[in-house]
Amino acid sequence: MAVVTVVRWFDALARRLGRRWLDRVETVRQIGAFTLITLGVTVTKFGSAPQVVRPLIRQQIVRSGIRLLPTVAFIGVALGLLIIGQTLRLLHQVGQQELVGSLIVTVLVRELSPLSAALVVLARVGTPTVVELGTARALGEVEALEALGIDPIHYLVVPRVLGITVAVFALSVYLLVFALVSGWLVSVAANVALPLSSYMAQIAGALRWQDFPLLAGKSLAFGATGALIACYQGLARPLRLEEVPRAATRTVAESVVSFLVLDIAFLALQLLTFA
Amino acid sequence: MSAVPAIELREADIAKDPATTPILSGVSWKVRVGEFWVLTGAHGSGKSILLETMAGVRPCASGDLCWFGFPVTTRSLSSSEGAALRRRIGLVFEGGGRVFGELTVAGNLALPLSYHEGIAMEEAVKRTAPLRTALTLDRIADLPAGRIGRAWMQRVALGRALALGPEVLLLDNPVGGLDPRNAGWWRTFLQALSKGHPAAGGRPITLVLSSDDARLWDGAGCQFGEVRDRRWVPSPSAAGAGD
Repeated sequence: MAVVTVVRWFDALARRLGRRWLDRVETVRQIGAFTLITLGVTVTKFGSAPQVVRPLIRQQIVRSGIRLLPTVAFIGVALGLLIIGQTLRLLHQVGQQELVGSLIVTVLVRELSPLSAALVVLARVGTPTVVELGTARALGEVEALEALGIDPIHYLVVPRVLGITVAVFALSVYLLVFALVSGWLVSVAANVALPLSSYMAQIAGALRWQDFPLLAGKSLAFGATGALIACYQGLARPLRLEEVPRAATRTVAESVVSFLVLDIAFLALQLLTFA
Repeated sequence: MSAVPAIELREADIAKDPATTPILSGVSWKVRVGEFWVLTGAHGSGKSILLETMAGVRPCASGDLCWFGFPVTTRSLSSSEGAALRRRIGLVFEGGGRVFGELTVAGNLALPLSYHEGIAMEEAVKRTAPLRTALTLDRIADLPAGRIGRAWMQRVALGRALALGPEVLLLDNPVGGLDPRNAGWWRTFLQALSKGHPAAGGRPITLVLSSDDARLWDGAGCQFGEVRDRRWVPSPSAAGAGD
């Protein structure tokens, strides 16, 4: 009897886990299809209705980029202070100051700046995007757009995806600059004898040409992925108003997992191309 | 009068979702150019879904829908011919018209024009000024559409649909929940649209509207249809439609 119970318990667990995995695979498939539709609309409607779509893209860049600049500046300064400042002091103590460039490039340029910028934008813009689009869908505004011959993907999704993607890229660069400058200032304050010229020379020496497309590619991919997931969760499935907050939570979870998966993919690419 | 119907449904099954059981079966209905139809039926009988299907917002579960002889499908609507044809059919949703709450009243009317004509919003706002005046929306033109009363939202939705100069206008229960004065305004305005209103270019517009109360439209020169027992049936008069 006990064996039967255990077998049934395992059977129920396997079914539950199986269903969960199938649901996840289905979500990935649907987000992939949504991405392809958005890409198709972006290409086929490129240049159409510019007087409506371009201001919306600008509005998104302001909202996701320019307005978040103070937050990103703060995070950049904090990262510089915490990571570069401490690393410099530690390397100075063990007499390995020549490693500072490699460490900064590996930790900040390749990893933290695109990831931090994407997380800031996700938190500040991704969630409101789901709420806005989910509410628009729940109130039937999507059908209203269709009835007017306005493609909802073109009007609601494309400007958000383009705006957020550009914003994450720009914020990654700004975050990096703020972190580098504050890191050096902290080292000066901590009496680490590293002149600005040799600090910059070490970073320049550690940088490879591949780091530039890597930083651009990573930040653009993070921005586009977060924006697409937010738009998908808000728009692609019919929502009731009370389901909107849950969709926002799903967006954050799915975006963070996607960033990490993308990060691993970029790392693999990096190992292949940097070898 | 053109021989080709403006909208034609042939043996169409109407469903909220094509995968679900149809709400209405075997609807065959020809709306000819210049006609004014009033559709009645009980709450939940499928009037809204029928109008949304006729407007191409929902696909037919089965059967055919044609606009001016052009077969309407999800695929055909994405063609350039289908997209151009869609602009000839306007739809006003019920219960506030699903206006874009974050845009101003003037912005709601200007958006479709700006999108399709490729003109700046400011220019589109100027061009839709006569329409705003005809709908008595000037006073609230700069207010966000999400903050105005429901009766005004319904007028904004009418203006938004008229901004593209449609030849056919479908209105889902436009006077639902309105006070007699507002309902009277709608009756007068729609009658004028049917005959040719200067704000809509002076051209007669083919009208199909749904209404809870057919008697309001008695004597307005319309034809009546009714949704009853999952079927669409024509009625000889407002009294017949209400039975």
